[in-house]
Amino acid sequence: MQLCCVNIRTIAIQLQYLSANRPVPDFNAPPRPPAIVLHDLTLGYERHPAVHHLSLTLPPGALVAVVGPNGAGKSTLLKALAGQLPPLGGHIDGLGTGQRVACLPQHSGIDRSFPISVQELAMLGLWHEVGALGRYSAAHRRACHEALAAVGLLGFERRGIDTLSGGQLQRALFARLILQDAPVVLLDEPFAAIDQRTIHDLLALLHRWHAQGRTVIAVLHDLAQVREHFPHTLLLAREPVAWGPTAEVLTAAHWTRALRLQEPFDDEAEPCDTTAHGVPA
Amino acid sequence: MNSALWLAPFLEFGFMQRALLGCVLLSVSAAPVGVFLMLRRMSLTGDAMAHAILPGAALGYLVAGLSLGAMTVGGIAAGLAVAVGSGLVARHTVLCEDTSLAAFYLLSLALGVLIVSTRGNSVDLLHVLFGTVLALDDAALALLGGIATVTLLALRVLYRPLVLECLDPGFLRGTSRWSAVAHFGFLALLVINLVAGFHALGTLMAVGMMVLPAAAARFWVRRLQPLLAVAVALALLASASGLLVSYHADWPTSPVIVLCLGATVLFSMLFAPHGLRRPQRPARSHLQA
Amino acid sequence: MTHLPASLPRRTTTLAALALGLAALTPSLHAQAPLRAVASFSILGDIVKEVGGDRVAVDVLVGPGADAHVFQPTPAHARLVGQAQVVFANGLGFEGWLSRLLKTSAYQGRPVTVSQGIPPLKSEAEHGHGEHHKGHSHDEIDPHAWQSVANVKVYTRNIAKALCQADAASCDLYQRNARAYEAKLNELDTEIRAAWAPIPVAQRKVITSHDAFGYYARDHRVSFLAPQGASTESEASAKGVAQLVRQIRKDQIKALFVESISDPRLIEQIARETGVKPSGALYSDSLSAPGGAAPSYVELMRFNTRALTAAVRGQ
Repeated sequence: MQLCCVNIRTIAIQLQYLSANRPVPDFNAPPRPPAIVLHDLTLGYERHPAVHHLSLTLPPGALVAVVGPNGAGKSTLLKALAGQLPPLGGHIDGLGTGQRVACLPQHSGIDRSFPISVQELAMLGLWHEVGALGRYSAAHRRACHEALAAVGLLGFERRGIDTLSGGQLQRALFARLILQDAPVVLLDEPFAAIDQRTIHDLLALLHRWHAQGRTVIAVLHDLAQVREHFPHTLLLAREPVAWGPTAEVLTAAHWTRALRLQEPFDDEAEPCDTTAHGVPA
Repeated sequence: MNSALWLAPFLEFGFMQRALLGCVLLSVSAAPVGVFLMLRRMSLTGDAMAHAILPGAALGYLVAGLSLGAMTVGGIAAGLAVAVGSGLVARHTVLCEDTSLAAFYLLSLALGVLIVSTRGNSVDLLHVLFGTVLALDDAALALLGGIATVTLLALRVLYRPLVLECLDPGFLRGTSRWSAVAHFGFLALLVINLVAGFHALGTLMAVGMMVLPAAAARFWVRRLQPLLAVAVALALLASASGLLVSYHADWPTSPVIVLCLGATVLFSMLFAPHGLRRPQRPARSHLQA
Repeated sequence: MTHLPASLPRRTTTLAALALGLAALTPSLHAQAPLRAVASFSILGDIVKEVGGDRVAVDVLVGPGADAHVFQPTPAHARLVGQAQVVFANGLGFEGWLSRLLKTSAYQGRPVTVSQGIPPLKSEAEHGHGEHHKGHSHDEIDPHAWQSVANVKVYTRNIAKALCQADAASCDLYQRNARAYEAKLNELDTEIRAAWAPIPVAQRKVITSHDAFGYYARDHRVSFLAPQGASTESEASAKGVAQLVRQIRKDQIKALFVESISDPRLIEQIARETGVKPSGALYSDSLSAPGGAAPSYVELMRFNTRALTAAVRGQ
């Protein structure tokens, strides 16, 4: 029923815009994410690898959890997928320039004292539509309203972000992610220090994205969440330990292997010869 | 109110009209830049920049003698070099913005002092370069007008990127290529406003009009666009009042205008809705939700 | 009773001739090494040169066109001062930087303050107030004593005395030069008074940007009005400028001068406001370059007087 109402409203907006001869923002168009293929990827800092020889194929529309012990290279992997870290070795296919990726980093560099309202923060996600100079249309404002409703922040539109709690700010950032409308969504520990109710609502949102066909990759620590909500998992301990359906990956044997990961970088280590390392199925 | 108090001085003297126009132009131009400066925690940049422009002015003096045009152009060039250099260092190395700016302006100042000394002539360059609000000629007014126009246009264009650059620079870098444009565009606006301000009105007024209205406005409103509007309004009000007070009390004009701006800050701090007053008096009753 | 020999023995004659010859040579031996003197600024340097003539090599610290109020000495200046045998300074607070410079250089003696004995003038800047002086009168002494020719005569005498002390052998020369220069100064003084004589006192009003002409004003009853203080640091006040503009309009003042060192814009603003065209520059604190209009003190005073009288007469 709700979907029907949304569709009628969308048609009405489209008719209105067609008459004004303006490009129509279509928020219900199915996103078409690419298959993301990692070829023998090595990522690191100052020649020390944080991710070592990772090769795998992420099918389009996958809902993937990335888990592993501390220092396993999970955040590093997400940075590379977002295009912020050039690889030390290997390459990534499917995420070239022009491919929009929405990213929620672990420590968002947001200045929480900035005088901006929740609505304005969320609307910044519409950059891909309006750019630096474009005006927000009524359709944009409606989409923002829907996004805030989806994250449970209706009524918070005019509140300053400096008045929000941690959970509320995270919801606002998720609203921004919704409006970014990207085919690939990367989340780095999105539920750290967040209350249960918020986590529940945001997980529902992840499922909605998955249903819409987007590729969602999330770094998580809570294995119960992973088992319950994520069909695919990558267990990373600098080297790939296991990748595939969650039940098959999260076994005791795999975890034992993962926990043997040496955390600190070894200054005395030998240079690595770049023969590809096999990935366990 | 007796119009002799506030209208007559402007009607009688052309230089007062020009001074008022200069104040208006600078308010409209520098106050919004000052708001962003405050939000980026760079409010001390103005004073540093006043010293950083010395080698440019010195080179202008070497080339063309006591020509204000040459020295101002040299000053802008030096200011831009320092701003861009420190911006690049802050973006690509471990140094933060404030340290890199301090490093660059000190280098620049020392270079300027060296150039001036080796020339052998001890003219106080910076004193000559810095004007006074009572001596605005047509060229200076045109410069201020031009700077105001450029600033307002640039802020209109750069508004959203600049907001993002201050609010969430990582997001901006991930979403578009406007990051560098916003960062360096803002620094360029800062430099031209400061140098034009120095040239026309002296350091005290140029920096004062940038920093103080923003600080005062912060106590009144909580959103960015109202902040910009209130800062401009306060700048206009305080500078016009300062001009009149200086006229009637026979006090030097630039310090009085800046003191008026400062008084606005103090008043706002004490009596504005978001100033000191707020935590002191708890509300007598509270709402249900 | 002894009789003097009729003629001197030959050996004595040769010896006497030799002695005379040597005595004749020694002054020129002295002349090989001129006295090293340092003057603080260009005008003073010129006067010292007049008195010292060829016997004195004068170096000037604040050269032509530079601003002595904000002068910053360099190591080269310290070396000069250290090697000098006499250092001449104006005094009256003109060279705020000199005491520090003398300490850092190796200068043994004390500087000669040439303005010793001159009754100093208070720096009463007439900011266009008319007769009444407000409470903000400066308690400073006006250091520009050289603007009065009578004071420069005192300077000359003090310089001659100091040079005599440093170099007793050439004292006669110095005294002679001093007297000749004083005669020139007397001529100059007469000239200036004659130039001002036909102009009624009420008309002798001039606007400048620098309060440097207090002594000149006193000597020749000229009113110098300025919107700023005596040094280049003070700020202008709106009311001060307004009152000045009103006075110019009321008294029909036609003489407006912009000084070469300071920012000319304020004076130009006043010129615009009142419709008075600026009459060029006056030389107050320094000589011009050697080829310019005021390469010596006498030329400077002549130039200033000519410019002032012409402007006041409306030419």
